[in-house]
Amino acid sequence: MLEVRGVSTRYGQISMLRNVSVTLREGEIACLLGPNGAGKTTLIRTILGIVHPVEGSVVFRGERIDSLKTNQIVKRGIGVVPEGRRIFPKMTAEENLRMGAFAEWGTSEVAGRLEQIFDRFPRLRERRRQIAATMSGGEQAMLAIGRALMGRPKLLLLDEPSLGLSPLLVEQIFEMIQAINRQGTTVFLVEQNARKTLALAHHGYLLQKGEIVGAGTAAELGESDIVRHAYLRA
Amino acid sequence: MTLIGVWVVELGLFVLVVAALLAERPIALGATVAAIGIVAVVARSSARVWRWVTTSFLTHRTGALAGAAVLALVLPFFLRASPYWTFIATMALMYVTIGQGLNFQMGTAGVINLAGAAFAGLGGYTVGLLTVRLGFPPWLGLLIGPLIAVAVGALLFIPILKVRGHYLALVTIAFGFIFNILMNNLEFTGGPQGIKNIPTLRLFGYAFTTPPQLLGMTLPSHANFYYAALVMAALVTWLAWRLYNSWVGLTLNTLRDDEIAAKCSGVSVARYKLLAFSIGNFFIGLGGAFYAVMVGFVSPPDFDFGYSLVMVSVIILGGLDSIPGIILGACLLIPLPERFRFLHEYRLLLYGAAIVLMLLFRPRGLWPATVRRYGLREPAASFGAAGGLR
Ligand SMILES: Nc1ncnc2c1ncn2[C@@H]1O[C@H](COP(=O)(O)OP(=O)(O)OP(=O)(O)O)[C@@H](O)[C@H]1O
Ligand SMILES: [Mg+2]
Repeated sequence: MLEVRGVSTRYGQISMLRNVSVTLREGEIACLLGPNGAGKTTLIRTILGIVHPVEGSVVFRGERIDSLKTNQIVKRGIGVVPEGRRIFPKMTAEENLRMGAFAEWGTSEVAGRLEQIFDRFPRLRERRRQIAATMSGGEQAMLAIGRALMGRPKLLLLDEPSLGLSPLLVEQIFEMIQAINRQGTTVFLVEQNARKTLALAHHGYLLQKGEIVGAGTAAELGESDIVRHAYLRA
Repeated sequence: MTLIGVWVVELGLFVLVVAALLAERPIALGATVAAIGIVAVVARSSARVWRWVTTSFLTHRTGALAGAAVLALVLPFFLRASPYWTFIATMALMYVTIGQGLNFQMGTAGVINLAGAAFAGLGGYTVGLLTVRLGFPPWLGLLIGPLIAVAVGALLFIPILKVRGHYLALVTIAFGFIFNILMNNLEFTGGPQGIKNIPTLRLFGYAFTTPPQLLGMTLPSHANFYYAALVMAALVTWLAWRLYNSWVGLTLNTLRDDEIAAKCSGVSVARYKLLAFSIGNFFIGLGGAFYAVMVGFVSPPDFDFGYSLVMVSVIILGGLDSIPGIILGACLLIPLPERFRFLHEYRLLLYGAAIVLMLLFRPRGLWPATVRRYGLREPAASFGAAGGLR
């Protein structure tokens, strides 16, 4: 479904990603692990066209997207919960959600999708007219996920959606991701919590200092020395 | 409160405002101003009274609007002894028009524009050049002027696109000064003298310089422009309201809030910024073109940087992103220094103080933006009630 082939990126003079290749299969949950500063967010930004690669290519459903603009890329069916969530702070919860279906504006689709999101996150229905910045961290996380789902993405990119949430909420978010995936959305999940993430994912990648240093099924990755030493402390 | 009650409140405010404008002797002026102050304090001191009044106005929205429209229509009759105040009222309406445009840029889309006066000047000078140099009728100038403002704005937009925040403010300030220097030095714009003798507006043979006879009364000729400005401000406000409440307004809000998140939702940031900038410049240019037709001449000092600040003060005082707020801001800030002549010299100081005080104590303005309603029947809750930030 999505293929990142030998991508390198740089921020000015500093090279960040080096020859990174990632393949996401349709219908799976893949995860990306790596320490702070490894370049995980950079990879997500590269897929979204916020950063353009200096080498390599990104192919989504048979089409090269690495030179497209972000808004063109997301219209092809990629939804994102960005790092730090980036909800629209001064807009209401409902307006945030509506913006998620920007491509469908004005069609009767939007109202129906809104209802579906509210069914999935009843708390958002209660708070639909609240200004997003005043919502709690957990509500904001749900809002960010809901907004990404409003566009009915075929591929959902999540960059640390559970950051800063209580264990109970983290659990809920993970269950939600699983449910979303069961309904047919391919998921690419960036997380710090290796144990939980590997339990959820089918495949995983390990990124360190801008390079992929491990890849395989979640089980294989969980067994590998590098992951066990660095993340699982086993 | 019933609809009649709403109208009584409106009428009471109207009487106070007219009295404050026309009071000649210091005692009378002091009394009316004190009365307005007392009304304001009483209304705001009790949350219950304020809630009661605002919800009444919201439930009788259409009636309240109709009442306000009638009062705006009869205002020139009360001001008929004073062409000067009729003129100031017209200026306030012109600033409503300009304010709606600037608010679209700065309030709704977060695109800073500190060259409002220059864009108004583009509209005004276009009228001057077309009518005086080329012999076009003024009404055609009124149409083309705003388009020139939009076109020049679009050209300026290319370097602006990549600039944000403070730098954007600097670029627009620079543009304002360049405009002024050009107008001062170019031959065909008349240099420091500007362009004089712009012919007055004629509609179906009716010249706007003839004092209108209405309902058996003779109004000053300025009343013609007052009514024209009323139509213009009402149309622009209605249009701004429709746009603001449509997906366009919402999309522009996302640019103000978070550009990256907007992109990730599929918004073409460049395209929508240009749209906001152009809509704004159209309204601002229209205001400037109207000014040129009304006063009959344009010169560089009419469009200097100070007026850009006046425009910004209007929208900050009224409430960024708040369409009714802009009306309030213009109607307060434009007549005030005219009423208190001693303030006139310190006008810019007053505007500066107004901005600073607002940003300190009421950053969302006197009439803050409310939540959009999406066809829901309930009255719009105020941002304040939702604990909002705006
Ligand atoms: N715009 C930028 N300009 C320069 N350097 C950048 C920029 N964005 C990120 N970097 C650097 O690139 C490196 C990788 O950043 P990135 O955000 O991709 O890491 P990450 O793996 O997502 O880390 P974390 O887990 O902390 O979110 C960091 O060292 C960061 O400082
Ligand atoms: Mg990151």
